Amino acid sequence: MSISAPFDRRTFLKVVGAGSASLVLGCYSADAKTPPTEEAKGERLEPNAFVKIDPDGTVTVMISRSDMGQGIRTSFAMIVAEELDADWDLVKAENAEANPNKYGRQGTGGSGSTRGMFTTLQQAGAAARDMLVASAAQKWGVEPSSCRTEKGKVYHDGSNRSVGYGELTSTASQLPVPGGELKLKQKSEYKIIGQATNRVDNHDIVTGAKVFAQDVEIEGSGYAVVSRAPAFGARLTSYDDKAARAVAGVEDVVQVPTGVAVIAANTWAAIKGRDALVMNWDIGDAAGLDTAKLRSQLKAAVGEHKQMPAGAKVVSAEFEFPYLAHYTMEPCNAAADVKADSCEIWAPSQSPDSAQGMAARALGFSNDQVKVNLTLLGGGFGRKSNNDFVVDAVQVSKAAKRPVKMIYTREDDMQHDHYRHMTHQSIKGAVKDGAPVGWSHIAIKAGRGRGRGGSDFGNPAIPYAIPGAGLLKKDSDSPVPTGYWRSVDHSFINVVNEMFIDELAVAAGADPYEFRMGLIRNEKLKTVLRTCAEKAGWGRKVTVGHGLGIACFEGYGSYAAHVVEASVEDGEVKVHRITCVVDPGLAINPSGIQAQMEGSCCDAIAATLKAEITLENGGVVQGNPFDYDWARMDDNPEIDVTILEGGGSPGGMGETGYPSVPPAIANAVFAATGKRPRKFPIRMDEVE
Amino acid sequence: MPTYTINVNGNNRTVDAPSDMPLLWVLRDQLKLTGAKYGCGVGGCGCCSVLVDGDSTRSCLMEISEIGDSKVVTIEGLSANGDHPVQKAWLENDVPQCGYCQAGQIISATALLDANPKPSDDEIREAMAGNLCRCGAYGRIHKAIKSAAEATK
Repeated sequence: MSISAPFDRRTFLKVVGAGSASLVLGCYSADAKTPPTEEAKGERLEPNAFVKIDPDGTVTVMISRSDMGQGIRTSFAMIVAEELDADWDLVKAENAEANPNKYGRQGTGGSGSTRGMFTTLQQAGAAARDMLVASAAQKWGVEPSSCRTEKGKVYHDGSNRSVGYGELTSTASQLPVPGGELKLKQKSEYKIIGQATNRVDNHDIVTGAKVFAQDVEIEGSGYAVVSRAPAFGARLTSYDDKAARAVAGVEDVVQVPTGVAVIAANTWAAIKGRDALVMNWDIGDAAGLDTAKLRSQLKAAVGEHKQMPAGAKVVSAEFEFPYLAHYTMEPCNAAADVKADSCEIWAPSQSPDSAQGMAARALGFSNDQVKVNLTLLGGGFGRKSNNDFVVDAVQVSKAAKRPVKMIYTREDDMQHDHYRHMTHQSIKGAVKDGAPVGWSHIAIKAGRGRGRGGSDFGNPAIPYAIPGAGLLKKDSDSPVPTGYWRSVDHSFINVVNEMFIDELAVAAGADPYEFRMGLIRNEKLKTVLRTCAEKAGWGRKVTVGHGLGIACFEGYGSYAAHVVEASVEDGEVKVHRITCVVDPGLAINPSGIQAQMEGSCCDAIAATLKAEITLENGGVVQGNPFDYDWARMDDNPEIDVTILEGGGSPGGMGETGYPSVPPAIANAVFAATGKRPRKFPIRMDEVE
Repeated sequence: MPTYTINVNGNNRTVDAPSDMPLLWVLRDQLKLTGAKYGCGVGGCGCCSVLVDGDSTRSCLMEISEIGDSKVVTIEGLSANGDHPVQKAWLENDVPQCGYCQAGQIISATALLDANPKPSDDEIREAMAGNLCRCGAYGRIHKAIKSAAEATK
C-alpha cells in the first residue's frame, strides 16, 4: 500500500504559475492566462488544481474538501465531469492534501462544500474541455466552434472525425489555459448532474480495501493511546508507568500535553498498558460539576422576556436539551511522523488546512514543513472540524521520536468530544384574532467563554412573519468544550421554534399546517411544506393512538419539511413513518441527497428519543454504546424522500435534513397523546 | 508469548500473541487485514464483525485463544472481486455513506442469509440490530438484504 505520493513539482509550478490567489474568485483570473512553464508541459493535461487527464483517458478530480459520508467525492467529480463532458466510467476522485494556497479553503462544514465549490469546479471542467477542443481543432485544422464533445471524446461532425481525450492530453497541455469566465452548460444540457449516481468509493468500501487513517501502513510506526484527564480542566500532578511498561508489547511511555501516551507493538498492548498506568489528577474547578447543577445554572440565566402586546393571549414554555457527543463510528485518530525538520500526517480531518497550521504551531515549524494527507472520514458530523486529535498524534510522535498511529478508544472519543451545546430555552408568544402578535425566545447555551452572546434580542431565526419577534442567545459558563454538531444551533433553536409555532397554532384554534402556511414568507419553503403535507396526507385519519406532526426549516441555501407519524406504546415513543420534502435548488446527486435526508431522520430519532451526555464530578459519564446509543435498524421508520428543484445554484444538504425532524416527532407525540414533550431526549414519564 | 495458528480466509496464519488478545487486533495489527474496524471494543456497535464458522462474531471480544480450529472469514475473504451476492446488492443499492461500518454490516447480512435465505422484514431488523450505522443507511441496508435474498433464491 502506498502511503506517500511523491511531491509533484510539476503540479506545484503550474499551479503557482497560474496564480494561487485566483482561487478565491474561482479557478481563473487574468494570471491564469500565463502560458504553462516548461516544467508544466507533459503528457498529462493538468490545467488547474482540480482536474488531471492522463493519456489513458483517466480523469482525476482532486477533492479539496473532506468526505465524511456526505458524498462530496462523488458530487464534486460529477460537477467537473459534467462541464468536461467526461466519460463517467473513466473518472476518479483523489483527495487533495492540505494546501490552502492551491485549493482555497479546505474546511468542511456548514453544508458549504457543494455551495462553495460548485462554480470553481464547473470552471475547472470547462477549462479542460476548452483545451481539449482547441487541441483537436488544431490537429484537424478546423474551427473549435465546429467541434463538440461527448463522453470523453471530441467530435467534428462535418468531417465525421472523433478523438478520445487521452490522445489529446500531450498537445492540449502545450496550450494556454483559458482565462476569464468560461461558458457553462444550461441545466437542460446536463447529462451527469441530476442522475442518481453511486458513490465512487463503494467498491473499495464493500471489499474492505478502503484505507482509513488507522489503516495506513507506516514503516516503524507504533500504536498509541493516551490516558486523558477524567474531568474538564483537570491537571496531571504525577504518574507511575512501571506496570504499564511491564505489559508485553508496550514499547514506550511518554508525557504529552493532554496526558500520558503508551506506545506499543499493537493497539491491544497499548490499551492494556494505558489501563496499567497510575495517574494522579488535580480535578480543580470542575470538581462537583454535574448535570443537575448546570441545568439549574442555565435556567437561572434566562432573564427578562420581551413585552407581549396587551390584550393578546400569551403562551409560554421552557425547553431543555442535553449535551450530545458526535459518536462517529470511526473514533478520532491520526497517524503522525514527526522528524527533526518535517512532519507528515494522515488524518480524517474536516479541516486539513487548519490541522496543518495547528501541527506547525505545536512543533514550531512553518506550514510548509507539515504535510497533511486527508483520508476518508468514518463519520464527521462536526467533530472532526476540531483538530485536537491530530495535534495529539503529532505530540505523541514528537515525544516518542517515531511515527505513531494514535487512536482514541470509544471511551476517549465520547468523553473528550467537543459537544453539541446543552441549552435551556425559554419562549413566550402571543396570539390575537387568530394570528401571532408576539414571539420572545431566550436560549441559554452552556459554553466556554462567559458572557458570549448579546444582551439584545436579534433575528428570531424563524421563517414566519410575526411582528416584533426576537431571539436572544446567551452563553452560561461551563468547562465542557463545545463545537459544531450537525446543523449546529439549528439543532435546538429550530426545534423549539417549530414546536412552539404548533403551540401558538393551538392557542389560535388553527391547524398547525394551515397556520404555518399563512405566516411563511418564502415561496420555496411554502411549496416544500405544501408538497410534504400532500405527500403525507396531512389531515388524514390515522390509526388510533397515532398522531401526525409537521415542521419545516430553511437554511444552508435549501428548504426542508417533514411530517412524522408517531405513537406512544408502553411509555415509549415509536416513529412509524417520516415524509421528507427537500428543495436544494439544484440536485447534483439525488442518491446522495436521499441518503442525507434518511440519515438526518436517524440522527433525529436518536437525539430526540435516546441519547444524552451527562456530567458527574466534572467529567462525562457515558463511554460506549450501552450508555449512549444511537438509532439502530429497529428504530428506523419508513422514510419517504421527495426532492424538489426550485432553481438556482445547489444548496447545502448535509445539515438541512435535520432541524425539522425532532420538532415533527414532538408535535406528533402531542397529536397522539395531548402531551407536549419539552425536555430532550423525550421520556414520556417526564412529560406533564 | 504463546503462538497460535488460526485459519483466516482459508489460509493458516501463525501469530505470537497473549492469550487474551482480541481477534480484531490480531487481524488488523498483526495480519494487516484492516477491513474489520474498531468501533467500541465492547461488542456494542458491530464494526468489527467477522464470520467465525459462519456466525457474525464481534472480533473485538473474541480472544485469540478461543478460536482453535474455527474458520474465520473477514470482509477481504468474502469474495475475490467484491462479487459476493451481498456485496453486489450493496453496490446496486448504493448503500454506503461514510463506509466505516459497512464491512460489519455486510458480514452480519451474509451470516443472516446463509442461515435464513428468505428473512422477513422483522427477522432482518432483529439480525441487524447489533450493527450500528451512525450515518443512518438502514433503509438501504434493509433493501440490499432483500435484494440479495431475491438474487440468490
